[in-house]
Amino acid sequence: MTQILIDNRKFNAEEGETILEVARRNQIDIPTLCHHEALEAVGACRLCTVEITGEDWNGSTKLVSACLYPVEEGLIVQTRSEGVLRLRQTVLDLLMARCPESTVIRDLATQHGQVTEYQQFTDGSKCIMCYLCVRACAKLGCHAISAVNRGTLKEVAPPFHEHAESCVGCGTCATICPTGHIEMVDTAETRTIWKREFEFVTCKVCGEPLITKAYRDYALENRRLPNDYYTVCSACKKSELSGHFARLSL
Amino acid sequence: MAAGPAVDMKAIEGVLGNHPRGATDALVHLLQDIQEAVNYLPEEAIRAAADHLEVPLGKVYAVATFYKAFSLKPRGKTIVKVCLGTTCHIRGAPVVVEDFQHGLGIGPGETTSDMKYTLEVVNCVGACALAPVVIAGEKYLADVKPGTILKRLSKGK
Repeated sequence: MTQILIDNRKFNAEEGETILEVARRNQIDIPTLCHHEALEAVGACRLCTVEITGEDWNGSTKLVSACLYPVEEGLIVQTRSEGVLRLRQTVLDLLMARCPESTVIRDLATQHGQVTEYQQFTDGSKCIMCYLCVRACAKLGCHAISAVNRGTLKEVAPPFHEHAESCVGCGTCATICPTGHIEMVDTAETRTIWKREFEFVTCKVCGEPLITKAYRDYALENRRLPNDYYTVCSACKKSELSGHFARLSL
Repeated sequence: MAAGPAVDMKAIEGVLGNHPRGATDALVHLLQDIQEAVNYLPEEAIRAAADHLEVPLGKVYAVATFYKAFSLKPRGKTIVKVCLGTTCHIRGAPVVVEDFQHGLGIGPGETTSDMKYTLEVVNCVGACALAPVVIAGEKYLADVKPGTILKRLSKGK
């Protein structure tokens, strides 16, 4: 057990925890874009930068990304020092220049105040290159998309920029994207994503779209699930179970 | 992908055979070998490499597009690099690039239709004493005067 100070308040932390984990557990707000608790942190967006120091640091401080920095005994963290706020503004200024079309980025920038107005990219992209989508897709085992090209031409795309062959249409990339860059169009019967169209399996009770056929087949093949796992949606499963329990209590 | 010239799958399979199956850490090495054998990285080769090394196709494509040394487009027999470093620049290298445009109709990154030459421009090759310098394949051509490059290329000196 380690003790650290965040914004002059004492908190207990486990060995190996990051500053962000301790802060989030104690309802201290540190903004992030590229972080997701299910995936390994990579420190791509730099928005979670905090200022750290220690008692024997002779007053010197350091700016580190909270999502990557493991806590240590006696660590003193400031999440809203002057240096942190200035850096956060700079990061947001640059993100604003990169994707001015994104409402998420615009809202964050308004919230934190804009310092410099850089020339804006005009390609309409909302991608901030955090690779959450790529990391999530790889974690799920599909590897349908990756970061291709380099420098200013870098983008997330399927191999050869064609339709994503190994995609199963689970939609995780579109859901996890912090800025809403990835286009996914759902109708009652189909889902279109990465230039591919997937057919839905519908809930046999309510008829709502449940999961794409390709994803159901992929999940049944790769995970230990009963064969009829994807026949009823979770809402219908819940109401079925609640009826069951209601009868039990009588 | 645009249909290029027929891909020499035999040569690619030969290169694949030099690397053990599933050797994920040999990816860049393997792609370099393929490019050396067939002069560029055809789509078929990238798929075969992914399959052979058991690396996701997206990852191989990411690596192949990341490094400037790899080309996904067919390239000419001789790759001509015109140095546009400071010294070459002030000694007339931009005119050499124009000579290619006028004489062969190709700009930087383009290949002649007879697949003989691919033109590339580079920033300083560290041979400023030879400025303006052009590297044709492995050969360094020094002090390239305006209007002379195409003749020198065909002579090879």
